[in-house]
Amino acid sequence: MFKPLIKFCVGLLTLILVINCERDDICIEDIRESPDLIILMLDIENKIQRKEPAGFSILAIGNNVELPSRGTKDSIVLPLKIQENIVQFEFITNKGTAEENIDTLQINYERFDSFINSACGFRSNYILEKLPVSVLNPGNNWIKGFTILRDTISDETNAHLGILH
Amino acid sequence: MKLTHTWVFYISFLSLGYSLGQQNDNLPIDDSLNLKKVKSINLRVGFDLYRTILSRVSNDFEGFEVVGDLKVGEDFFIALELGNLETTKQVEQVNFTTNGSYLKMGFDYNMLENLEGMNNHITIGARIGSSKHNQILNSYTILDRTRYWSTSDLPVTNGFATGERSDLNALWFEVVLNFKVQILKNIYSGVSLRLNRLISDKIPSNFDNIYIPGFNKKTQDNIFGAGFNYTLTYNFSLLSKKK
Repeated sequence: MFKPLIKFCVGLLTLILVINCERDDICIEDIRESPDLIILMLDIENKIQRKEPAGFSILAIGNNVELPSRGTKDSIVLPLKIQENIVQFEFITNKGTAEENIDTLQINYERFDSFINSACGFRSNYILEKLPVSVLNPGNNWIKGFTILRDTISDETNAHLGILH
Repeated sequence: MKLTHTWVFYISFLSLGYSLGQQNDNLPIDDSLNLKKVKSINLRVGFDLYRTILSRVSNDFEGFEVVGDLKVGEDFFIALELGNLETTKQVEQVNFTTNGSYLKMGFDYNMLENLEGMNNHITIGARIGSSKHNQILNSYTILDRTRYWSTSDLPVTNGFATGERSDLNALWFEVVLNFKVQILKNIYSGVSLRLNRLISDKIPSNFDNIYIPGFNKKTQDNIFGAGFNYTLTYNFSLLSKKK
């Protein structure tokens, strides 16, 4: 009577140990991270036509590190600040020439976080404000306008904001 | 009093080994001598030492568990556990506080045949457990592998998804292996190991029941959990007469 009992106890103990040692604390690479803002540089004459500005570059204000270069020159990925509701960039055209023109833009958004799991934490999502972009240096702007393509930034499948020039 | 408990706790382990060692010398009891035995109601009540001690030594845990069982057959017991706790945990990227209470009901079946005069148990049993609890999300971090802004990895400590999710519940099933040793007259020390299987739980909005009172840690990939307790119980024998 006693031997099967011992076997049973050992079995149960092993099962408990195995269950407690299972993988539960690794955030796997397949999990989508917080999305970045995708902007399109569009033609002011024809608002669905992509147009790459000449001598174009973007600088982030508050961080000297070069922006991660993802996307092409007319479709750009911009990282948003998680701890703030605004982020500022300098959009430069004709860089290094006599016609160099810098427009300082502020992107306005709200954030909401959605739970992934305990290992990964939360994913932040953003909603563009009614006025998505403020120009901080009005007068002589090469950027003529903006258009919201998708106001909820929860993935990176399509562009969210169009910049007309 | 606390010191006594500690000693009782250690002694219980020694006596457990002793009682197991004695097992093979078991002799069949001559039933004809037991005619004058009077049926009694055996109600055993006690508490969990582990949770009581943990409440004293840990700042992140405050709780207790009361246990009880009633003998309903030669080897059958109706068993019950009742507990309440509040605990704060940091699990990977999230920090949360769980508070709530739980109730477990079921039965135990004793598999150990005692020598005359000894009254130890090795029981296997089952429970249905349920909890009512709240989850309070204290802080969390945001998944951002390609960190460009240096402030991205600061945890979010207020606003957004933090805060309380109240009125949650869970239901589960347990298989219980229990060792109980009589250490003094009518006083028992017990250790139980539990394998839990979650049946259902009310998921808090935009969060999860990472810890459920009574069930313990809920893992993401499966619905099994585990638990244990160290109990000290007192046996009330009602209507019992010496034979």
